[in-house]
Amino acid sequence: MWRWLSEALAVAAKDLRTEFRTRVALNSLGLFALTVLAAVSYTVGPYRIAVEDRPFLLAVLLWIIVFFAALAGLDRSFVKEEESHTAPLLRLAASPAAVWFGKLVYNLCLIYALMAMLVPLYCILMGYKIVLLPAFVVILVLGGFTLAVVTTIIAAIIARAMTRGALFSVLSLPLLLPLMIFLIQGTTGASEGNAETVTNTIRAVLSMGGIMTIVSAVLFPVVWNE
Amino acid sequence: MLSFSAMTSGTRISFSDVAKRYDLRVIFKSVSGEAAPGEVLVITGPNGSGKSTLLSILCGLLRPTRGEIRYLDGDHEVGRQDWRFHLGVVAPSMAVYEELDARENLGFFARVRGMGPSDKRCREGLLAVGLDPDRRTLVRGFSTGMAQRLKIAQALLHDPAVLVLDEPGSNLDPAGKDWLEEHVRALAISGKTILLATNDPREMEWGSRHVALAV
Repeated sequence: MWRWLSEALAVAAKDLRTEFRTRVALNSLGLFALTVLAAVSYTVGPYRIAVEDRPFLLAVLLWIIVFFAALAGLDRSFVKEEESHTAPLLRLAASPAAVWFGKLVYNLCLIYALMAMLVPLYCILMGYKIVLLPAFVVILVLGGFTLAVVTTIIAAIIARAMTRGALFSVLSLPLLLPLMIFLIQGTTGASEGNAETVTNTIRAVLSMGGIMTIVSAVLFPVVWNE
Repeated sequence: MLSFSAMTSGTRISFSDVAKRYDLRVIFKSVSGEAAPGEVLVITGPNGSGKSTLLSILCGLLRPTRGEIRYLDGDHEVGRQDWRFHLGVVAPSMAVYEELDARENLGFFARVRGMGPSDKRCREGLLAVGLDPDRRTLVRGFSTGMAQRLKIAQALLHDPAVLVLDEPGSNLDPAGKDWLEEHVRALAISGKTILLATNDPREMEWGSRHVALAV
């Protein structure tokens, strides 16, 4: 168990180290998120939405930015291995489980870094008031985790395809759409102070994240080795 | 020509009637061969005959369309999922990480192979292939010859029983080729099983067995 974890963390550390040196994924995610945030805050701003509509509409905008920023950068984890011809040696050296978990940890770091930068800025620029702040943080954490799980396995599936970019979006959206709807409902609930909605959302996202984690862990060795 | 017998341990590889095709394109139809510990099996053939494809199949990175490949560790047959523990591979289609330096690369491969960080072993590995372990230049700044030496160090790092070398002398200078020949001979003597794909006449002479592929 510890050996497996150590191998997985080695994969994640390697990816983070190479990412900090090249900043390809960070730039893709960060620039997309900041550009859309700037455009939304300039054109919509905090006051062009009626007060009663704000909890819902601002939740929709927030998760649209997060999801599409993720789609812009999270496929890099596997695509880069294939493009730079490092994937075969990684296949020979590391166990599939360690590669999967290492890549998941790397994608989690990216998505949480994006959220840490984006969400406070979004709340300030858009005047988004959150009544149930701890619940909102839990929704962000669970949403980021499930988003990373889904994008990691889809990135592995599409890495060897010719039309990677289009495939990543096409395969990700049907899986991410239910998640996005849950997260929008939960975030709206956290903004309105509706504890029941938030609780139901946390249950739903937790279930989805759990199912996707198990499915990914089982599916990944086949995807990676074949 | 190398021929080393009387090896008591190591991994024997045998393959029979191996064929590979992609859709209608036939790469090779029926290839068989065997390499025992202490032997160098040389695979030759013109460009496009499938030497690298055959090596990828023998490493478990590709599945053959037909045929059987067996790894025997003594009398015990090694499962396909465990072949990687027996293998060290150097191939033009397999790269190390350009955004890491040489020691970071070896450190990474040591950790994912469950050897721990083992900095001492990485330093020794780099010194063995003639690279300076204290040089912290990223691999993207390496010459092709230096990158080739690093790939060889990576393949030898975990002391594998089987070495798979696909045109290992490419990009090496004459001194590097001399070093490689000396090292391959020493590894064969020590009981390693070596699979070598090459068209270099000098490297072909290292073989104790040969498989020739045709287009």
